[in-house]
Amino acid sequence: MNNSGKKILVVEDEVHLAKGLQFNLEREGYRVTLVDNGQSAVDILGKEDFDLMILDIMLPKLSGLEVARRIRSTDMRFPILMLSAKSADEDRELGLAAGADDYLAKPFHLPELLLRVKGILRRWEWYKEPVHDQETFQFGDSWINFASGKAKGCSGEFYLTAKEALLMKLLVSQKGNIVTREELLEKVWGYDPQTETRTVDNFVARLRKYFEKKPQSPKHIITHREKGYEFKSDPKK
Amino acid sequence: MGKLRALFHPIMVFIGVQIAWIVLMAVWINWYLENNLAIKEFAQEIRPDLFTAEIQWLILFEGCFLMLLILAGVYVIFVYWNKQSRLNQMQSNFVASVSHELKSPLASIQLYLETLKYQDVSKEEEKDFVETMLSDTQRLSGLIDNILQSSKADPKSMALQFQPVNLGEFLEEVVQGHKRQLEEKNCLVDLKLEASPTLNLDQKALRMVFNNLISNAIRYSPVGCPLNIHLHKTGNYWEVNFADQGFGFDKKDMKKIFRKFYRVQNTDTQNIEGAGLGLFISSEIVKNHKGRLKVSSPGRGKGAIFSVLLPVSREVEA
Repeated sequence: MNNSGKKILVVEDEVHLAKGLQFNLEREGYRVTLVDNGQSAVDILGKEDFDLMILDIMLPKLSGLEVARRIRSTDMRFPILMLSAKSADEDRELGLAAGADDYLAKPFHLPELLLRVKGILRRWEWYKEPVHDQETFQFGDSWINFASGKAKGCSGEFYLTAKEALLMKLLVSQKGNIVTREELLEKVWGYDPQTETRTVDNFVARLRKYFEKKPQSPKHIITHREKGYEFKSDPKK
Repeated sequence: MGKLRALFHPIMVFIGVQIAWIVLMAVWINWYLENNLAIKEFAQEIRPDLFTAEIQWLILFEGCFLMLLILAGVYVIFVYWNKQSRLNQMQSNFVASVSHELKSPLASIQLYLETLKYQDVSKEEEKDFVETMLSDTQRLSGLIDNILQSSKADPKSMALQFQPVNLGEFLEEVVQGHKRQLEEKNCLVDLKLEASPTLNLDQKALRMVFNNLISNAIRYSPVGCPLNIHLHKTGNYWEVNFADQGFGFDKKDMKKIFRKFYRVQNTDTQNIEGAGLGLFISSEIVKNHKGRLKVSSPGRGKGAIFSVLLPVSREVEA
């Protein structure tokens, strides 16, 4: 993947770390903008477009968690890689729940960070490819707008989270074919060793609750034992 | 969840126990008064000699004393319990802050080492990276010093080694040591020395004090804020002022700022790292020099002035 031109916003108040990140990312061909507090991050995102944000949690003025929440309230898909010295499981969960696509604890390995950045951007690129001629994908009584993340399910209109939308898009783009759990894991979660295949099952269960009238006997998202999942837009076929 | 936690706060539990105890006591007194006559008659049948016309003051006094003793006992248990729970909370906050404080410079050192390993860098870049890593190791070393010192920051156990130190030259040297940090925050230092006395000081300990005060001024100020350091004589003291134009703090924080583990919490400072040890240790060190560490702030957002006062009696011939 060609990295040149990809814009990354690094939100980090530790000057040394920020400069080190900038140096390495620029060496990889990215264009990097540095800001040192949460409020400036929100402000600059309102004015400029970026392809990815690397976000620290402990930030002056506005914490990284709050920045992520604010971004997610208006944009469900903008890629966020959270970087923090907080490495406990609950901190990680908190970061992901606030809207981060990935979470890396400090101190981190440089090659791992660069791979994760590449992975998030690759998934983002893939996600931006059109899945359908029309902007909104219709199936049964439900529909999904992959551009905005808005969807209509059994209980009305709502917004899908970034991961839910990505997972749904992957299934829809290969409708009629079985998509393995491994492929879903790789494309939606990247090569994170901490993610288990059970995570995919949990997300699928959530999607069924949104779109299936009877989640126990699904018509659209079908399980193929020990193989993976298949999406059917027209259950009769 | 928050309401439930507030309900089980030690003070709430204490008040609850006291209310329950007093209510039970009132119920018992009420029952006793209602059945007083019957009890009296019954007792008179068994032990008529027990009843006298006058009030038995000694027994009454003993009863009251016993009640007071129980109350005092419960209060003492409550005080210690409260103290213990606060200590536990402080300890977990401290561990979280310290691990975070240690990890940030460590992450930076690892990043630069791996940059040198995986990227082609020029000689100048290499030199710059090494300087950055040295600055991070200095920060780590300062934090470790603070932690070690905090465990013995007790006026009796602090063993200081006094030697003649030229205060002016020493201040210049300490400021020079923060050159990189100051440049990174675009912070200009105005060091004003009205004199340069030689005092009998523990140089290593005083370096910790000045390092802590300068680091705090840099950390708790936005980019581009100047720092004024002024050495002058005030009465019987040599006074070194560190005046920044940073986030400052409210009056209520001023009294607590030198407490162990205490950290100023407001929207400007909430995410700034720190272990809450630097000012506590600095204050103890200055006290051990028979001096004082003073603080003042006009208010939030208006900066702060920390003043180290060292007695003139410490002055020695250069």
